[in-house]
Amino acid sequence: MDAAPTTFAELPRDPRLGVPVPFACSSPRDLDKRRVTQCALSRVCGVCGASLGRPIAFLGTAREEGRNAFHFPPTHEACASALLAAYAGLGEPALGQDDVVDDWVLVTTAAFEFVRPGRDDLDRRPTFQPTVVLSR
Amino acid sequence: MAIADVKEYTHLSVEEVEQLGRELDAIRADIEESRNADDAAYINRMIRIQRGLAAAGRVTLIAGTQSAKTRKPAAVLGGSLLGLAKILENMEIGHNVMHGQWDWMNDPEIHSSNWEWDTAQPAEQWKHSHNYVHHQFTNVLGHDNDIGYGILRMAREQKWHPYYLGQPVYNALLASLFQWGVALHDLDLERIRKGEKDPKEMKRQLRQIVRKGRNQILKDYVVYPALAGRQWKTTLVANASANFARNLWSYMIIFCGHFPDGALHFTEEELEDETRAEWYLRQMLGSANFEGGRTLHILSGSLGYQIEHHLFPDLPSNRYPEISVKVRALCDKYDIPYTIGPLYKQYGQTFRTIMKLSLPNKMTSTDDPAPPERRDTADEPARDHKRRSDAERQPRRRELGAYSRSPREREHD
Repeated sequence: MDAAPTTFAELPRDPRLGVPVPFACSSPRDLDKRRVTQCALSRVCGVCGASLGRPIAFLGTAREEGRNAFHFPPTHEACASALLAAYAGLGEPALGQDDVVDDWVLVTTAAFEFVRPGRDDLDRRPTFQPTVVLSR
Repeated sequence: MAIADVKEYTHLSVEEVEQLGRELDAIRADIEESRNADDAAYINRMIRIQRGLAAAGRVTLIAGTQSAKTRKPAAVLGGSLLGLAKILENMEIGHNVMHGQWDWMNDPEIHSSNWEWDTAQPAEQWKHSHNYVHHQFTNVLGHDNDIGYGILRMAREQKWHPYYLGQPVYNALLASLFQWGVALHDLDLERIRKGEKDPKEMKRQLRQIVRKGRNQILKDYVVYPALAGRQWKTTLVANASANFARNLWSYMIIFCGHFPDGALHFTEEELEDETRAEWYLRQMLGSANFEGGRTLHILSGSLGYQIEHHLFPDLPSNRYPEISVKVRALCDKYDIPYTIGPLYKQYGQTFRTIMKLSLPNKMTSTDDPAPPERRDTADEPARDHKRRSDAERQPRRRELGAYSRSPREREHD
């Protein structure tokens, strides 16, 4: 069932960790594959589920930034900042990452490419490649 | 049928399918790297032309209808200009902008995030029903709501019901009122009926539709007719005719994209594991092009290049002609169908399908073309394309630095 977009304050909270669970996630740790694709193609925010604005923001790790391949779908800049603030110091893997991330990065872009996994890819998750980076 | 069972490509080995995917990736990369000021000039020119047509149409209808001598020609001319403007705005501009084809320009107006178009469906809902549902689940029965828009039976695999005897009438109504059919598309009436729709989301969407629909009605049937004073009725009729023409045109173009003979339907439920190359294949095999000159293609929103549009929905539409040459060459190289024909033929086949499928399967014959004869692999057994399940697949590596890299990428270490 497709949920209605919501404000950041109204996002459901994980009962154990107390952090908000973003639109694109099934739990604080795991991304929901279907929602990730929906965010990519419907061009909605991976945090609140509402239509994206300009610029488009991507949050991830330094390695994802280095490879220009993010796993978390596009977001509003304000939503990304609020989410990272809420997850700061969580101490366990979150938001689709396998490891604890201490230093999240936030990249803004005008456009992105949605890259579906290939047969040989060991990581079977799609990625996002910002193509017109505005700020890092 | 599942993509793994499609006879049109079972002659290809797994490696050949992947190689085809890599060659399509290369086409995409070529276009992305060569997007330039000429492309930006193209979309800006289209928007200028469209706004010129709309302004000329509105002014002609307001001013030209005041004199009895010019009233009829002004109504015909104004209505035609307005109809053209609406077609251009919906097809080549709005549809393509909302796919993100021009996001790379970082233009504050021409961007998928904020474009709102001249039709009853709110842009946000279009981006869900079309960009996501239709483009992700293309021609997958039960998933892609564009297969008959929930009203028509468009594939023999869909169960027949006496309701479908009225299909010729539903089809005529859908074509005539297309913008309103599209407006309700993302509501997904079937899910509402089954109680599967989130009531909060349904109410939110209904509010959006009512607001957008009200503004469209106010614009075309109240404000502009009022500006024509005593000739309000002429302007109202011309505006309605422009909307009607746009409805018929967009209906025909959209239905020609996936329902002519040769465009396949799929029934697989498990799509989430589809590889990029398989996704490309499904888009190619499920779509159909039509031939025509540049003007026809522009007025069709470049959907005469439906195959290329489905492969690369976010690449600039003005580049589809050059992409189509390369895609067609790949289809020849890999011996897979490239469905194309003149517009009248593509719609003729679609219309025939609509009429035939109003009846039970036993009363009609299939029009699906036989799988093509292979040039050089006819005697070879079909290859097994069954995808590996997660259990069969090597688990994702979790150590740092290797978890998202393919074996091919690691060869360069």
